[in-house]
Amino acid sequence: MARKKILGSHVKRLMSGVSEHGKRHLTEVEIDLMQTELLLEEAIGKLTGSFLAIDRAVGSRQQIIDLLLGGGEPSADERARLVRMAGEVGEHVNAAITSMQFQDMTSQLIERTLKRVSGLREFLGTLGAHGADVLPESGSEEIVELLGKVSMALAIQSLELRSVLRKSVNQQHLESGEIELF
Amino acid sequence: MAKTILAVDDSSSLRQMVAFSLKAAGYVVLEAVDGQDGLDKAKLQPVDLVLTDQNMPRMDGLTLIKLLRALPTYEKTPILMLTTESSDEMKQKGRAAGANGWLVKPFDPQRLIEVVRKVIG
Repeated sequence: MARKKILGSHVKRLMSGVSEHGKRHLTEVEIDLMQTELLLEEAIGKLTGSFLAIDRAVGSRQQIIDLLLGGGEPSADERARLVRMAGEVGEHVNAAITSMQFQDMTSQLIERTLKRVSGLREFLGTLGAHGADVLPESGSEEIVELLGKVSMALAIQSLELRSVLRKSVNQQHLESGEIELF
Repeated sequence: MAKTILAVDDSSSLRQMVAFSLKAAGYVVLEAVDGQDGLDKAKLQPVDLVLTDQNMPRMDGLTLIKLLRALPTYEKTPILMLTTESSDEMKQKGRAAGANGWLVKPFDPQRLIEVVRKVIG
C-alpha cells in the first residue's frame, strides 16, 4: 500500500511538474509573440507614414525645382516652403530611423522564443528517453527510482532553460527610449 | 579634426542607422559586430567615444566596458550603452562597469546627436 502511495505521489509530482513547466513557457511564448506583433504593426504603420511624407516632400520640392529649371520664379510662399522642406525631410527620416529599429527588438524576441521552443523540445525529449527505460515488467520500486531520476533531470533542464531566457526587450512601442548620463 | 566614434552592435541594421545618424553630424564612425570585435578595433585605433550594445555574442557590452576601462588609453574615454535593456539593475551594472551613460533603444537620431555632442563636443 505504502509503495503504491509513493509511486502515486511520484507520478503526480512528475505530471504536475511537466504541466506547469509547459504552461509557463507556452504563456511566455504567447506574450513574446504578441509583443513582436505589436512592434511589427507599429513599425510598418510608422514607416509607411514616413515614406509617404518623404515622398510628398520630395515631390513638392521637385515641383519647385521644375519651375526653376523652366525659367520660372518661385513665389515667396514657394521659397519659404523650399527652405522648410530640408528640415521636414530630415524630421521624417529621423522618425523612419527610429521605427526601423524594430528589427533589432523583434529579432531578440524571436531568438528568445526559439531558445524556449528548443528547450521545451529537449525537455520532452528527456521525458521520452526516460520513458523508454520503463519496461513492461518493471516493478514499482524500479519505476519509483526512474521517476525520481526523471524529475531531477527535468528540474535541472528547467533551471538551465530559465537561465538563458532573460527578457531584455520590454518595449511595447517604437517611441524613442530614455537617455541617462551618469 | 572630426571626432571618432566606435559603434558596437551585433545588429547590422542598427549599426548602419547609428553610423548614418552620426556621420550626418560630422563624426567618423567605426563599426564593430560584437564586444570582442569592438575591443580589437579599440586597441588598434583610439576613439573619442564608444557606443555599445549590451546583448551580443562572443562578448557582451558590460564585459567590453570593463576590459576597455582596464586599458590606459580608455580610462577616461566616454562610453555609452545603447541597448534595449532598461532596468535599474542593468543600469547600475553599467555604471559600475564604467559606462558614462545609458541610452534605451530605439534611439532618435537627433537626441543621439545631442547626447554625443554633450559628451564629446
